[in-house]
Amino acid sequence: MNFGRLLRSAPTLWGLAGFLVVLAVWGPWIPTFVLTLLINLLLFASLAYSMNFIAGLTGYVSFGHVVFMGTGAYAWGYVVGTFGWHPLAGIVAGAAVGLVLALGIGSVALRFRGVYFAIATLVTALAARNIILVIPALGDGQGIILNLGFEPLTWFYTIWVILGIQVGLTYWVTHGRIGYGLRAIKSDEDAAKALGVDAARLKLFVFAFSGLFAGAAGALNVWTLSGVFPEPAFDLLFSLQMLAMVIIGGMGTLLGPLLGAVAVYLPHNYFLTVAVGAEFIVIGILVTFFALVVPQGIVGALRRYVPTLRGIIE
Amino acid sequence: MTITIAAVEVHKRFGGVLALRDVSISVAEGQVVGLIGPNGSGKSTLLNVMAGVERPTAGRVVLDGKRVDGLPAHRIVERGVAKTHQIPRPFLGMTTEDNVTVAALYGSWKVRDAGAAREQARKVLNLIGLDGQADALAASLTVQTRKRLEFGRAIATGARILLLDEIFAGLSPDELREAIRLFTHVQEEIGFGALVVEHVMPAVLTISEHVVVIEEGRKIAAGTPSEVVRDPNVIEAYLGTEAARAAT
Ligand SMILES: Nc1ncnc2c1ncn2[C@@H]1O[C@H](COP(=O)(O)OP(=O)(O)OP(=O)(O)O)[C@@H](O)[C@H]1O
Ligand SMILES: [Mg+2]
Repeated sequence: MNFGRLLRSAPTLWGLAGFLVVLAVWGPWIPTFVLTLLINLLLFASLAYSMNFIAGLTGYVSFGHVVFMGTGAYAWGYVVGTFGWHPLAGIVAGAAVGLVLALGIGSVALRFRGVYFAIATLVTALAARNIILVIPALGDGQGIILNLGFEPLTWFYTIWVILGIQVGLTYWVTHGRIGYGLRAIKSDEDAAKALGVDAARLKLFVFAFSGLFAGAAGALNVWTLSGVFPEPAFDLLFSLQMLAMVIIGGMGTLLGPLLGAVAVYLPHNYFLTVAVGAEFIVIGILVTFFALVVPQGIVGALRRYVPTLRGIIE
Repeated sequence: MTITIAAVEVHKRFGGVLALRDVSISVAEGQVVGLIGPNGSGKSTLLNVMAGVERPTAGRVVLDGKRVDGLPAHRIVERGVAKTHQIPRPFLGMTTEDNVTVAALYGSWKVRDAGAAREQARKVLNLIGLDGQADALAASLTVQTRKRLEFGRAIATGARILLLDEIFAGLSPDELREAIRLFTHVQEEIGFGALVVEHVMPAVLTISEHVVVIEEGRKIAAGTPSEVVRDPNVIEAYLGTEAARAAT
């Protein structure tokens, strides 16, 4: 495919790529305060894209998604703290643990549909937290405290790379053969099977990506905190935040998770200094509004009400 | 090499209901077999068992000499057998063309490229006269058009044997004539075999070379259309004992 055609055929992808390139070039000059905010925003976006792979693309809502973040975080803490791995290698370890865990959980939980799937993943998250609490090598429930330096630029470029890969993969799985299969599954799984779609395999495939990236993001998150603690690592609010971002931005879309991340991160960060917890009122109202009024999220609403954007954003 | 699918001595139990008792039936590629029977007699259940949607409680399903009962539905599609739904189940948020494209991508043709699959889908839509609605959302289609889309999707999987569940139901006499003409044309063009479940007697009798009749899960008659309509068991099942006595 020639470059010009690709550019015209995938404006959203190129828009996102442009956004990322601007961030990368600007990176070294970003004031530290802004940089730390951006790192967190990109982290939220990364979690949103992770959730989008499963909830957005297949309609399987994973309430326990924080399990991948939490285990990714602990994997990072363990290899960095105990074996002295470089923190970047720790991110890879976090991603690998997320992937393996997703394959394990997914091959059982993805047999359940709807609320039963949501409950199955929720239970694994609660179980994983309680298991980690009693493992001596993982701090015996006290967490793992590390003393690593403040390296915002490294964190920034690390999350940048993770997010870049996610955007590319999201484009890849929403187009072509896999995209058709996923849309069919989301619409009517049994009818999809009746046309030859191997639904079990395709669901596990995207769930594996989902777990991998949540593991990587969870690892990066604790790197920026220089320590892993069981309660925040397995905080179920993360699962809800991830879902909120995807619902607000637009389930299964390419741009939606980023927009959803902005919509959730802004109130999150604002209320952090004003009234902790109040952000959930704002986020809750946003989610309710979108779920009831525009179930296709911001991207869906733009496509619906702004005809000129219809062929451009996805 | 033509393929054949056969249900052999199939039983199917749902809790207390014995939906199929010792039913055997077979369809070869190129052959059109009719399956008729009153409401609730087990026709859809038999199709589901053959398509891998349900497992038989006892008995076997044999495709091309190999046992396939117990295989998941998509594996059976891969081997060249596709089923339509009695109540159409299109992907509502997708266009007619995209619905058919899914079948072309994942069926037994194994078209990997989305562009080539869309090409195939358009050919199928042309063949079944739905090309005018290619870009319409499936949600906007009438029930009759959805039935035709079911048929189109099954064809687009590249199936060599189709299991068709009441695709002619609910048509006016004119529409029925037109639908039968289209079916015969497409069948001759592609040469697939078909097991056609139908309530509409004239439809089955015109298109089938062999007809099987089931009642309450049991096979009560089988033969050519003209043999079957004269069978006292069939007359009784359809019209009641009085009519059967009068006819003989
Ligand atoms: N999934 C199921 N669970 C329980 N019972 C079922 C199930 N599917 C079918 N049955 C029962 O099995 C029997 C046969 O049903 P089936 O749908 O195969 O009949 P049919 O011949 O296709 O009828 P119709 O002409 O109304 O479509 C019925 O008594 C039905 O209630
Ligand atoms: Mg039926």
